[in-house]
Amino acid sequence: MSRPLRFALLAGGVALTLGMSACGLDSPKPAESSPGAESPRTLTIYTARDKALATEVIADFEKANPNYAGKVQLLTLGAQEALERVKAEKSNPQGDIWWGGTQQQMRQAAAEQVLAPAPKDVIDAVPAAQRDADGLWVGEMKLAEVIFYNKDMLTADQAPKDWDDLISPAMKDKIAIRDVLASGTMRSIYAAMIDRQFDAAGSPDAGYEWLKKLDANTKVYAANPTDLYLRITRQEAAVTAWNLQDVMLQIQNQKAPFTPVVPASGAPMLIDGVAKIKNGPSSAGADAFLSFLMSKDEQSKLSETYFQIPTTSLPKEPSWLADLNLKEMNVNWERVNKSEPEWSSYWAANIKGQGNR
Amino acid sequence: MAGGTVTIAAPRIRSRSSLTSSDRFVYFLAAPVALVLLVYIVVPMLATAITSAGGGGSAYSGFLSGSSAAALGLSVGISVGSVLTTGILGTALAVLLSRFDFPGRRVLRLFALLPMALPPLIGAVSFYFLYAESGIVPRFLARYLGADAGAVSANGVWGVLLVHTMTMYPYFYLAVASALAGSDASMEEAALNLGASRFRMWRTVLLPMLTPALVSGTLLTFMVSMASFTAPQFYNVQTLTMQIVASRTSGAYNVAAAQAVVLSVVSIFFLLSMRWYENRRLHRGSSKGTPQAVKVLHGVLPRAAAGVGSLLLVLFLMAPPATIALLSFTVDGSWTTQILPPDYTLGNFTRIFTDPVTLRPILVSAQMSFLAMIGCILIGVLGAWVVTRWKGPGKALLDVMVMLPWALPGTVIGVNIVTAFATPGPFNLGQVLIGSLWILPVAYFVRFLPLVFRSANASLAQIDPSVEEAARNLGAGPWRALRTVTVPLMSRGILAGALMAFIQGFGEYVASVVVYPARYAPLSVEIYNRIYSNEFGTAAAYGTLQMALILVVLVIAQRLETPRRDRMARGEQPAGAPLTPVMAPTPT
Repeated sequence: MSRPLRFALLAGGVALTLGMSACGLDSPKPAESSPGAESPRTLTIYTARDKALATEVIADFEKANPNYAGKVQLLTLGAQEALERVKAEKSNPQGDIWWGGTQQQMRQAAAEQVLAPAPKDVIDAVPAAQRDADGLWVGEMKLAEVIFYNKDMLTADQAPKDWDDLISPAMKDKIAIRDVLASGTMRSIYAAMIDRQFDAAGSPDAGYEWLKKLDANTKVYAANPTDLYLRITRQEAAVTAWNLQDVMLQIQNQKAPFTPVVPASGAPMLIDGVAKIKNGPSSAGADAFLSFLMSKDEQSKLSETYFQIPTTSLPKEPSWLADLNLKEMNVNWERVNKSEPEWSSYWAANIKGQGNR
Repeated sequence: MAGGTVTIAAPRIRSRSSLTSSDRFVYFLAAPVALVLLVYIVVPMLATAITSAGGGGSAYSGFLSGSSAAALGLSVGISVGSVLTTGILGTALAVLLSRFDFPGRRVLRLFALLPMALPPLIGAVSFYFLYAESGIVPRFLARYLGADAGAVSANGVWGVLLVHTMTMYPYFYLAVASALAGSDASMEEAALNLGASRFRMWRTVLLPMLTPALVSGTLLTFMVSMASFTAPQFYNVQTLTMQIVASRTSGAYNVAAAQAVVLSVVSIFFLLSMRWYENRRLHRGSSKGTPQAVKVLHGVLPRAAAGVGSLLLVLFLMAPPATIALLSFTVDGSWTTQILPPDYTLGNFTRIFTDPVTLRPILVSAQMSFLAMIGCILIGVLGAWVVTRWKGPGKALLDVMVMLPWALPGTVIGVNIVTAFATPGPFNLGQVLIGSLWILPVAYFVRFLPLVFRSANASLAQIDPSVEEAARNLGAGPWRALRTVTVPLMSRGILAGALMAFIQGFGEYVASVVVYPARYAPLSVEIYNRIYSNEFGTAAAYGTLQMALILVVLVIAQRLETPRRDRMARGEQPAGAPLTPVMAPTPT
């Protein structure tokens, strides 16, 4: 009979799959967020930072705060997804910390009233320009946006030295750019390019003209950062703009053939923030983590080993940073934050892909 | 709704056909199905419509003035193009594999579904390594044939169509294959005996029989192309989904919601017009004979040609998965300007196997998508049955309810589900799912129910209701008739849909990342982490494991489909015509 046979096979498959899965899944079960009387509640962190870095920081945190040992949950996701998630969970927050997001994303979350102020010592340690006025989010580090090139394709002499070199005819079809509209980082870089020429004429037109020349030189728009690294590594394009920390990590961990160039006129510095989620399950844990993360010791360590540029002032500048001679570009961030969406949509509609026309 | 009145009036009018209790049974089943759809799909998705209306409709203004309208046009154009290319590839493959026997057929049958198992994140990367300017194919052509690598690489809209074709043809392939298996050879023979040419027989007998399957494939492909984001982003084509992501990135959530609503309205309009078309040309087989026997190719030349042809096809279909496997053995960063990687290593696999928590994400994904698949089968089959047997208005509405999530981008679905199940309320029946393991299967259920539903729908459309009525007349209750007659007749379609749902749930990323609970990171999130830190080798090793597991599932499924083969080979021909459509036995 065919049907009993089929059912037997199917049932066998079901039992096998369920058995296989179930025994693997529930073995390490530390009673989910049981409100223990003495021991603190599980701390849940949403992070858009690199998982290896985040895991290391959490290990340090658990060492410094033994009562949280084994009680920290890490969820890795992109910054935009973290924002979406925190907003969607507003009525019943599941996370305590949102770690890693652009200034614009943090502002959106603050406006949506899903963030709570950080502990006072953390707020005080971060300069007012690099955090929310009420400390609803604080800048954890500064991301220097620089030029980098594939050293197998260009010599140091041929490589661009400043932003304006990117639009010279010599760079024609040598540039790859991370898809702008879907990237907070690229939007900020492009906005900074418009902003630096804004005051001369009081309009974004000069900046638009500059971006049009950049578009003419751009060979390809990459879908995501990884795609960008790939296209540069595999010599599809030679030059791009991206943040210094990622470039340094790529060189160190992946032996990528990249050389960063700090533009002569300065690098726009973006803020990458960390925030406490309002009404999260473990408010005390969130405070403890923020204080730990922003402590001088931990920031020094991240700065030395992960090429971070901290927002807090450290006793000693890391050696790699001293060598680079990093100069900050003067950007009117207030104007950028206000006008960026408009500038970006103008760019998408009127500039992208039209530089050669 | 109308159930009461029908039952009162019916006994006198339809006393002979015993349709009354059947009707009542349809309504009786429709209630729970509709409830599940309302709670898990319709109400959560309403959140998008509400957000879009936030600014008093101002969010829709972009569609009047250019950029969004142009993007919408591009999305529709790409979707229509994808339907054509996937339709041709999928249908041709199904006919080839169901009707002809040639060397390499069984391998091709096994691998035909694997492209669907491409992990969503590195799937795109595999196309980059194959067909981009620095990919294997353009570099090979440039090196040995002197072609310009830039000119022969896949770009823009063509690139999107290539990715869509390669990843979506299983929607056609599975539907058509299961329809062919359920068709009756005697009808073809009758047509031929009556003097029809082979071409005429195909046009007037087989093609109409295949209509439900083709409609199912068309709908699935069109809607998922509309909602596709990765491919347009990869080839930098400004579709509506790209606009949605851009709007979200700039914080204009109401505009993003409006764009998503328009996207789904277009898809739903398409769904309704396909329904209308399908209903106009309804063809059912009332007899359930054996399907057409597999035609064995004879002669050295045809066999060799077919063998080489299928080898090339396997190569083409397998190229993306094979690229991922190749990457998993490649030393990170070593492959720069060469056609093929210069350095190989096992390190990527040792890295995942020495990590104690590696297996966990795999188990999470396997179990969660399995649970979701069970749910999809239950609701999908009952839903398809209700929609097909429902008399009177409202069935189109039920159809739209099921298909709605298929037309929405994954992120939108994830966010909607989180919002809907965050706090207990009347619309979610007091369930709080966020933070619990259940939210993952629910998300997969919502996203992939349309696969089972459409597939079941297509095979049900082939079955004449009189078969069920015969069972009822012989004294079977409605439940028994459904269980012992209808569902077994649909089994191939159900299995095909369930397979697709399981495979896609296994690799799901975009909705998972918004909903997944702490400690239960699915496989795709782990792959994302590796890609994010540019550890391609490890990401590809994970992807290879995923594809290997899915291959195992496919082998099991193929075994399930053809349990009769062994008996047939032994010559125990069952008495009478078999009720269950099965694949014709493969001659050995």
